[in-house]
Amino acid sequence: MTSADLLLVVMVIGLTAYALLGGADFGGGVWDLLARGPDARSQRRLISASIGPVWEANHVWLVFIVVALFSGFPPAYGVVGSSLEIPLAAALVGIVLRGAAYVYRAYGAGAAGPDHWWGHVFAISSTITPFALGVTGAALATGKMSTSDPMEPVRSVFGLGCGLFAVAATAFLAAVYLCKDAGASPVTAHLVPVFRRRAFGGAVVCGVLALALLPLFAHEAPVVAGRFGDRSVPLVALSAVGGVAALVALGRNQFVVARLAAGLAVGGMLWGWAIAQYPDLIVGQVTVDDAAAPSPNIRAMLYAVVGGLVIVTPPMIVLYRLFTRPEPVE
Amino acid sequence: MVLAADAIDLARAQTAFSLAFHICFAVFGVGLPWMLVYTEWRWLRTGDPVWLALTKKWSRAFAVLFAVGAVSGTVLSFEFGLLWPAFMSKYGGALGLSFTMEGFAFFTEAIFVGMYLYGWKRLSARAHWLTLWPIAISGTLSTLFIITVNAWMNVPRGITERDGRVIAEEPLAPFTSPSFGPQLVHMLLAAFMCAGGMVAAIYAVGMLRGRRDTYHRRGLAIGLTAVLVAAPLQLIAGDWAGRSAGEHQPLKLAAMEGLYHTGSNAPFTLGGIYDDKTGEVRGGLEIPGMLSLLEGFSTNHVMTGLDSAPPEERPDGTLVHGAFTVMIVLGSALIALSGATGFAVLRRRRRGQHPLLPTGRPWLLAAACTGPAAMLAMIAGWEVTEGGRQPWIVGGHMKVVDAVTGSDGAAPIFAGTLTLYLGLAGALILILRRMATGGPSGEQLVPNRPSGPSMPSAPRPRDGGRGTGPGRPDRDGDGSDGS
Repeated sequence: MTSADLLLVVMVIGLTAYALLGGADFGGGVWDLLARGPDARSQRRLISASIGPVWEANHVWLVFIVVALFSGFPPAYGVVGSSLEIPLAAALVGIVLRGAAYVYRAYGAGAAGPDHWWGHVFAISSTITPFALGVTGAALATGKMSTSDPMEPVRSVFGLGCGLFAVAATAFLAAVYLCKDAGASPVTAHLVPVFRRRAFGGAVVCGVLALALLPLFAHEAPVVAGRFGDRSVPLVALSAVGGVAALVALGRNQFVVARLAAGLAVGGMLWGWAIAQYPDLIVGQVTVDDAAAPSPNIRAMLYAVVGGLVIVTPPMIVLYRLFTRPEPVE
Repeated sequence: MVLAADAIDLARAQTAFSLAFHICFAVFGVGLPWMLVYTEWRWLRTGDPVWLALTKKWSRAFAVLFAVGAVSGTVLSFEFGLLWPAFMSKYGGALGLSFTMEGFAFFTEAIFVGMYLYGWKRLSARAHWLTLWPIAISGTLSTLFIITVNAWMNVPRGITERDGRVIAEEPLAPFTSPSFGPQLVHMLLAAFMCAGGMVAAIYAVGMLRGRRDTYHRRGLAIGLTAVLVAAPLQLIAGDWAGRSAGEHQPLKLAAMEGLYHTGSNAPFTLGGIYDDKTGEVRGGLEIPGMLSLLEGFSTNHVMTGLDSAPPEERPDGTLVHGAFTVMIVLGSALIALSGATGFAVLRRRRRGQHPLLPTGRPWLLAAACTGPAAMLAMIAGWEVTEGGRQPWIVGGHMKVVDAVTGSDGAAPIFAGTLTLYLGLAGALILILRRMATGGPSGEQLVPNRPSGPSMPSAPRPRDGGRGTGPGRPDRDGDGSDGS
């Protein structure tokens, strides 16, 4: 395995972390958008409370992936930057608005417009970002993107389908995670059935979309789909098992198991795609070997990544442990 | 060619605008945590609720500023590729280590910010204070890593190119740029001046409106100390940066000075407008021989002028000289204020007067100007650095015009960025204004609260930002803003 391959593995690990942690924060925004009924207010409170301390740390995984891409595979980033600008710009709008709206609502005390306006901005922008990133991922797999036609990725039905799938997957994750948060305090325990239902709904939508996208996948991205069939079946099976296990565990109120299984479901899907994508970074345009930076640079980055992870992992664990329980009451 | 010029102007405008927007927040990410380390430490030591009130107020402002800084920084990391794909394709590898390390510094900062902002009740008072240290250190390190990139773009080192392809890069190349040291010190001091100055300005305005309590006095004193201690040091750092530019980027220095003619006995010119056509500065204050004297310690020292390069390889003298003048004038004013304040403080101490800081109306007016002056000087300073680097994106290696995206989506994307950022900035100003006015939160100064360090009742943004106590919105103070 070359150092470029190793960096790629690190990037997929980062992508998985971003999907499972940051993705769930966006999924929370999706449920904020869909909150209805007499409980809507307390649902939104729970969502806001569960992402508050962690969303910024979770967000950094994306920065990590972007930096690794442009430093490790500079020409690939050049191509991505000049032909995927529409979906990436949309994702950025979502990222900026989501973050700003969240703090404006949390700290603004209404000084810049009513809180519920910012709440809506938060919810809508949380939905845009995973959608746009799904479209981006699909374009990397199909290779149907070019500098001369920046709209191409957004015209593809497969791409739009992948965008929806990404939204559904983040929503599914968020609902599973929120069950645990809701169950942690008697004040919010009545929300457990709500989010359990939503997790089921999310899982069903994911399954239906996956089945609907399969024929399109084979047609639009034949190269990746071929490798997917050869290499990724075990991972997809794992993903399906994870999805079912998550729902079973939710039914039994085993929330921690449900979280792990839901993570397996989404992570399995991601790795299945990543392994099928290899050795292409952008199918038909850029491969790993074409794009890799000189190996001394990649090795230096890998050392920095290892050192960095050694530094940030312990505090990250402390962060998540610190906020697993509801806030102590005086 | 016309199209390319449009694309390049748009891409430059967008980069400049997004960078300026981001820097205005990033400076608080560097400066505020250190000030919080101080105020919360004082609270831990004394249990004085005024220190707690300052800490809480600043931590809430920090929360908002950090979040906006974080998302606008993400935009920048994407924009490098979206707007300058050729630059990233060619030199991304050389800059990888800097950006990776910056990523981890940001990671550390974000993790501890989460603990700090939401951990008031979950952590002991001491542990809570300790979470500030990694925030402050990693915020400062982020600056360091980003400056390595900028310094490298200004004065690149450690790469070998053949036939337009980079064939070898030293992994540590960005750290070896001779421009790194002076730029880093100059920027860190600027960050302290901006953060301190803005804090001082807010409390000075509060005091001018008649709120002359301990809370305001201490807030003013801390902010003013930061900006006024850093200001004279900035003179040394700025001199160092200027010398470094003279040595490695003589054309940048020439543009800063509006110096057209190469030669000895070069004048130091302040103000005025550099005229591209005649190569003269109109209406400026000119000290003959001063520049040669400053740079070479002799009027015989030969200074490189803009005429030494063909017109298409010169930076824009009008813009860079203008920005340089703004920075120098504002910086000098701050240094003068620093000297005057220091003198006044010493005199009051000798006379046994208290408080030491003079708080007469003219002093407060001056203090209120320090923040905007420091911010403006910092932005102007960046214009000098980046404008003076033109037409190169990587000094001597790649021109800006060769790095830009060829796409035609640039105009709508720029319009969108402009609208989005201005809207967010407007909303943010309203929020900060609400936070700034009215003094400390009422709940923090209730009588009979335990005086020692205790588990403070935190602002609870977790539940949507409303309320610190039962049913009471956390409007600051009595809700009047004095207007």
